[in-house]
Amino acid sequence: MSETVAIGTPRPRAPRPEELDLKFSESAVAELDALKTHYPDLKSCILPGLWIAQREYGGWLPPEAIAEVAFRLNRSFAEVEGVATFYTMYNTAHKPGRHMIEVCTCLSCHVCGAYRIVDYLEEKLGVKLGETTPDGMFTIHEVECLDACDRAPVLQIGDQYVGPVTSEMVDKILDDLRKVETPSAVQLSDAVVKVHLRDGDK
Amino acid sequence: MAVDEGHRTVSVTINGIEIEVPQGELIVESVKRLGLEIPVFCYHPRMKPVGMCRMCLVEIGFKQPDGSVRMMPKPQAGCTLPASEGMVVLTDSESVHRDRKGVLEFLLVNHPLDCPVCDRGGECPLQNNTLAYGPSTSRFIDLKRHLPKAYPLSQYVMLDLERCIQCGRCVRFTEEISGEHELAFRFRGASMQPSTFQLLDFESKFSGNVIEICPVGALTSAQYRFRARPWDLQTTPAVCTACSNGCNVWFDHRAGRFVRINGRINEGVNEEWTCDKGKFGHDYYNSTDRLRTPLVRKGDQFVEATWAEAYEEIVKGLESAGKDVAGLCGTRIANEGLFLFNRLFKQVLGSRSVDHRWTRTLGTSRVQTPIAGIEGKKGVLVFGSNPAEDLPIVFLRLRKAATRNGTQVTVVTPDVTEADAFATVASRIGQGDVLKVAQEIVDGQSELARKVADCLKEDGAIVTSDRVRNLPGGGEALRLLEDLAARCGAEFNCYPTGPNAMGAELLGVLPGDGGLDTWGILQGCCSGTIKALWLLDCDPTTVEGGDQALESAEFLVYQGVTRSEATAFANVVLPMAAPAEQDGTWTNCERRLQRMTQAIAAPGDSKPAWRIFSEVILRLQPSTPFFNPREIMKAIADADPRFLPGASDLPEEGAILSATTQAAMAGDGA
Repeated sequence: MSETVAIGTPRPRAPRPEELDLKFSESAVAELDALKTHYPDLKSCILPGLWIAQREYGGWLPPEAIAEVAFRLNRSFAEVEGVATFYTMYNTAHKPGRHMIEVCTCLSCHVCGAYRIVDYLEEKLGVKLGETTPDGMFTIHEVECLDACDRAPVLQIGDQYVGPVTSEMVDKILDDLRKVETPSAVQLSDAVVKVHLRDGDK
Repeated sequence: MAVDEGHRTVSVTINGIEIEVPQGELIVESVKRLGLEIPVFCYHPRMKPVGMCRMCLVEIGFKQPDGSVRMMPKPQAGCTLPASEGMVVLTDSESVHRDRKGVLEFLLVNHPLDCPVCDRGGECPLQNNTLAYGPSTSRFIDLKRHLPKAYPLSQYVMLDLERCIQCGRCVRFTEEISGEHELAFRFRGASMQPSTFQLLDFESKFSGNVIEICPVGALTSAQYRFRARPWDLQTTPAVCTACSNGCNVWFDHRAGRFVRINGRINEGVNEEWTCDKGKFGHDYYNSTDRLRTPLVRKGDQFVEATWAEAYEEIVKGLESAGKDVAGLCGTRIANEGLFLFNRLFKQVLGSRSVDHRWTRTLGTSRVQTPIAGIEGKKGVLVFGSNPAEDLPIVFLRLRKAATRNGTQVTVVTPDVTEADAFATVASRIGQGDVLKVAQEIVDGQSELARKVADCLKEDGAIVTSDRVRNLPGGGEALRLLEDLAARCGAEFNCYPTGPNAMGAELLGVLPGDGGLDTWGILQGCCSGTIKALWLLDCDPTTVEGGDQALESAEFLVYQGVTRSEATAFANVVLPMAAPAEQDGTWTNCERRLQRMTQAIAAPGDSKPAWRIFSEVILRLQPSTPFFNPREIMKAIADADPRFLPGASDLPEEGAILSATTQAAMAGDGA
């Protein structure tokens, strides 16, 4: 982004609708169509749309995914990108590892030793917070309060909360996760989409 | 600002002074009635308030039944607060000043103090507000945030993210005014950044406006960057001559050279916006292709000549051609020049062959709705031409009408347009089908026709431009639609697109009885019936058969601001002053006559068009010449009462001329 560009040089432009490589599966399109009917304005459908996209694009939102949601909801690319980059649960920066382990480090968890868990995870996986292991298996994140202080220190993996966790439990969790094929971000996204679809039908 | 009758007013006490203001008026506007000011960054009168920057914090209280005043415990944002009965506002209290100081200190935490090299320095609201209300020292010793600087968002707009104070004016402009929503805030909190999708090209046709409304130097103009300091600039009110909309602009110049264009407020025309064509398309002023001295052909090459020599050559050439002379002109010429051009051919040389039109089929324009009037229409049919491209300011009005007033817009054009986004119906015309589609609409049988009829049934208008005449069957299609408009009581507008095309038409720069039109003149040159041709700032080589015609013409005068392809064919080349280098009046597409005064001197020996014609006429027909544009405008008004407003002092916002001579006579009680 620090490139020098001569003044007046034409810049690369955003793709035109017909140039988009649409990746939504038929069932995803059907889900989005169902969700569209839940809101008076398609603007409101951006959040569930992005969840569907995050699932369809393998657990993250590359620019193409944002463009596809914008196209399908008739919003501008920039608007949808603004929404996607605002919320931390959409992975826009890069594709996370197959499993995302999110450690709550807010007050209760902190007091109950969340940072011991963080240190242990970092040591065990050989990566720092926010990084992905070289084999692409795990990404670890620090998150704000997960509203599960009763289980402090708590981890979120996909749509599951695990806690209170200890170092020994971490070993087992990691071993178990290696056997799970579905990326946790995909699983989480799918779960959220299901909630949106269900609540809309009420 | 005037208090509308019929609107409820409320009484508000501002700094101890009680005034009546319309109910619901924002406090930030109400205080202006008393000549007070609330400093703002994110608030813009033409956009919805958001209360993002907190600069406008004021103390608010309410009068209680017992007469006491109960102040709210915390300051309120004046830009989002509607006036209500009994409201007490303090804009100058100690706590308000403390709040402002705090807000500015916060904004300056991350704002780089690179004012000495910032284009905005000197005309920067953040600088001004800091000077007036800010802290004189900073308590922050930490590192400031570092983000990309000088990122080219488009070929016109540079983005400096460090300077951004996240007011959202640019984002809201693209959302509310131009409508593409091409800018949005990415990320959040302190890292929030206005940006296009993936920082790709900012393609809006109105992108230049965000530079002007940015309250800091975060968005700067690639063209103006580092060219001047604002206090070194002289500015002159001017009229944009990029298209027929005639936007009011500030023409900024430094040491006699054009530097930049900024929007100037005219509620009837452009409000305060400009389009990119107008803001960035005036490079011909400083072009190296500018003509500076008259040139006379000697054999194979041009020789620099004095005006006297050039005139001598012209008189010789014109006299030897007798009545077989013709004139073709462009439309970036002021009324005065066009009037004398017309007079030279029709009265002095006795030719009837002059024309200013360059569309494939020729016709005259018809305009019934003034630009501002579009806002009040219930339904508008856009036919055949893309308003964002051909009539940018008409497009902004149309968008405002559709999005704020619920005007029903039907778009029927060959290509995708920006207006599709807010149109209720957007239909495409297949290639070569313009006439067919127009016939279909007029016949009223098809579904499209029914939708159009529905759109125009009450207080409707048709918006189209002379560009439609370039399409096969376009002229006939416009005639059909004009009839349709008359039948269903809608207003018909075929706006001309050339800068002063409306002026040329009103002044009758059109072929007289038996005279040749543009295409006839070009053919005449080829067949030899036209012996001498005068090109006034136009280039026929860009149209079919133009090269041939210019080659065949025995005697060719080229008069222009810059060199063009046509210059090479000329016998005599005359350098002409550009629009802001002369006094003159211009007629925009809604027949608004606006005066422009000379801002800078014309380069070299260039002369304004009117002076050139005045001097040529003098040499052909001994008479008292016109000495200045005002005299010419008087003569124009004498010949055509429609132009009477131009003969006296025109109001600043210009005056809309009557469509017909009779109306003008009646209007003046003559």
